[in-house]
Parts: sequence; structure tokens; C-alpha cells
Amino acid sequence: VQDCHVLRYLSKEESGGKTAKLLVGGKNVSPFSKTESAHEIFKEAGVPPKQKVTTFNVTDDALIKPGTPLYAAHFRPGQFVDVTAKTIGKGFQGVVKRWGFKGQPASHGQTKTHRRPGAISTNKASKVYRGKKMPGKMGNIYRTSFGLKVWRINTKHDIIYVNGSVPGHTNCLVKVRDSKLPTYKDCNKNPPFPTFFADGDEELPEDLFDEEIFQFTDPSVTFA
Amino acid sequence: RVSSDGKPPKFQPPPKPVIIDRKTQKEERRFLSPEFIPPRGRTDPLKYYIERKDMIQRRKVFSIPEFYVGRVLAVTTADPYASDKSKRFVGICIQRGGKGLGATFVLRNVIEEQGVEICYELYSPRIQAIEVLKLEKRLDENLMYLRDALPEYSTFDVNMKPVPRMEHEEIPVNKLQVRMKPKPWSKRWERPKYNIKGIKFELPEHKMKAAQKWSQPWLEFDMLREYDTSKIEEKIRKELNEELEK
Repeated sequence: VQDCHVLRYLSKEESGGKTAKLLVGGKNVSPFSKTESAHEIFKEAGVPPKQKVTTFNVTDDALIKPGTPLYAAHFRPGQFVDVTAKTIGKGFQGVVKRWGFKGQPASHGQTKTHRRPGAISTNKASKVYRGKKMPGKMGNIYRTSFGLKVWRINTKHDIIYVNGSVPGHTNCLVKVRDSKLPTYKDCNKNPPFPTFFADGDEELPEDLFDEEIFQFTDPSVTFA
Repeated sequence: RVSSDGKPPKFQPPPKPVIIDRKTQKEERRFLSPEFIPPRGRTDPLKYYIERKDMIQRRKVFSIPEFYVGRVLAVTTADPYASDKSKRFVGICIQRGGKGLGATFVLRNVIEEQGVEICYELYSPRIQAIEVLKLEKRLDENLMYLRDALPEYSTFDVNMKPVPRMEHEEIPVNKLQVRMKPKPWSKRWERPKYNIKGIKFELPEHKMKAAQKWSQPWLEFDMLREYDTSKIEEKIRKELNEELEK
């Protein structure tokens, strides 16, 4: 988590939609790479310009004042989380890599056809349907991985340890949100609400672990 | 000096010099496990710093002995399906891989004429003990060619007793030249790409010359491939020594 600040509050009527929205900004970036109109939003909140701005749908009792920083301690170990990011861009890719088509055999008389799509439609249709899987630019789109468990949080360096894999390359910007899946609806009731304030209300230890995880200070595991 | 008794003062021998021990201790700690050195890449060094902290914590609880490829080890792991809930495996270390917390090492042994290789993770919580049976270095970093060598080179007795070794001796280098099974091998070990010095090649001369065709003598002069780790190693060694002495 690198320098996250709340930028603006949009009420239900302003934003259109069912709930109020909060604009949150990510990593700090030099002001020369942003347009003048973008600078205004950051000036109102009193915050240095950010590389990425996202919206979160928020209920009315969880509103935060624009300008407050957000930390990794906002999440607790044992929570479930959805992670969204832009996948690694692979460029223009053929049909075998992009959609997992099987292609054609390597020998037995194939002439110049080993990784081609083959037939693209039937005779009766006499057209190609919209959304037909064909070669094209692959990757560099937003994708979400759902229901990832948070195992450990480092409050000193603002790091969240999450189960499984996360879309995107190393050092890319990522949007982390409480899980939307119905199985995890009840798990997210304990965390600091609306958010964790670092002004000194509670002093958290440097590392927060989940109960099931193995601590390095314990001796080796034995099965009794 | 006037003593209280009136007798001459008791002879006190001069204090013994302790300099020698410290020097040898410092030389012992010169060994830095290769999984601490971060690989060359674009990841944040913060990640490696935190992994190192975790590794140091684990090492404080569970001691991992000094390690080289070619060493004979006995590893006891916890196993829920075994009768004693623990499993002991003896073998020679063929290779060490991985960096950070995922560092692994592969042990090989031939049990009842069947070659067995097991890959263990150094920092896995299931490992209960690592005993050193024989400490020695071999001529190569990677002993994968033992798979194609005669099985007598990989057999080690399961109940072997640990070979006693003085603390301040240098680690012996075993210059054993291994004899191989007849070709075909799993990899073409005679090619200069693998740079193996520990095999006694019994191939005819023209085959050895033909293998030299694949040599790439420009590789050692390639500047882009250089990764100078001496300064990084010094820093990490200092960190390690400070943490372990606490």
C-alpha cells in the first residue's frame, strides 16, 4: 500500500447509481504528468497528485473525509478480498494462445496450417457471429480474482499478504476490495470501521498473523 | 606492594590470549547461504528484506547447518501417515535451488537398487532435524550427472554414523572422478555448457572434440551477464551476524 488517500466524496444523486461513491487515489506521481484539470481534484483534497484514481461504492455509514490516508491495517487477517488489476499485456496473439484452440497436427500432410483457427462459422448461418474468438490483442485488461484470503498484514511497511495469485506484473497498481462472494458475506464484520486511523488510537504490532498460519518463532510442526 | 598477610602475593598466571578463537570464528561465518543473495531483477528490494527477516527468525528457532552440494545429510520430516509420525531420509545433496523462503535442496540415494531423489524446502515447518553425516565439497555446483553414473556413487548407508570433523579445518574438496554408465545419458554431459569437472570421460577423442563445437567462449567476457554480488553479500552478512547474535 503506497500513499493511498481519499480524494472526493460523491453522494448518491451526484454520481448516479445506487450507493454513494468515494474516489481514492493511489501511488504518488510527479505533477508534470497530470493535466491541469486533474490537478484541481488533488488540490481540493490537499494531497499530492496520484497515478491512479478509482471509485469504491460505499454505504452512508462508512463515509470518510477527503484527505485521510488509507493504510494496510484497514484489512485484517482472516478477511476475504477481491483483487483487480490490469493483466500482463501479451500483444497481438494468435488463436491458440489467446483462446486455447487446439490447432492442427504437425505432420500427416498439413500444408501451412498448424496454429490456425480452422472454420469460423457454419454454412446455414452465412455470417460470422459477434464475439467470435479470433486472434487479437491479449492482456492489458482489468481482471478480478475473487475470494482471496488475507493471511498476514505488515503495519510497518504497509504490506498485505494474500492467498493465491493476483493479476498483473510485478510492481503494478492493484485495487483491493472486500469480497463480493455470498459465502464470505459474514466474515467482514470485524475490521476497523470505517477505516484504520494512524493517529494513535490503538497501537498495532508490526506483524498481524492469521490464527492458522505457522509463525516462524514456533518450533517445527509435529503430528501427534 | 604491601600484602595483608605479610607473605608474598599469590602467583597469578597472565591472562590467556583469546585472539585466535575470534579470528577462526569470523572465518567460519564467512559462509553465506546462497538463498540469501537476491537475484537480479526488477522486484522491490523491500520484498527480499522482509523475506530475510522471516528466514532469520526461522533460523533462530531451527538451526540449518553449513551446506554445500555434495554433502551427505539425514533429514527428519514430520509425516502424518508414517507410524512414528516422522520420516528419516539419508542422501547426498545434488543441487540447491530457489532464493528466499522457497529455497530447496535435492537429496539422492539408491535404496534397494532404486534411485530415489527427494526435494526438500529448507524453511519448511515440517522439517524437524537436519544432521550432517559428511561434510565435503565436490568439484561442481550441480551433481545431476549422478543419475547417469554407476549406482555405487550414489549409495549411502541409511544408518551411517556422522563423520567427526574438527571445527577449524578447511572443508575438504572431493576430487572424485565419477565413472558413467554407457551412453545414452539424460543430458549430454560432455558438452562445455555444463562445465563438469568431476566425470572421468571414457569417450573416444573425436567425440570429445565434436562436443567442443558447442562451446561458447565469449560467455565469460559478456559484460551484460555480470552480476557482482560481493557488496550485496557483505551487507547481508553484516545484517545476519547482527541478528543472530541478539
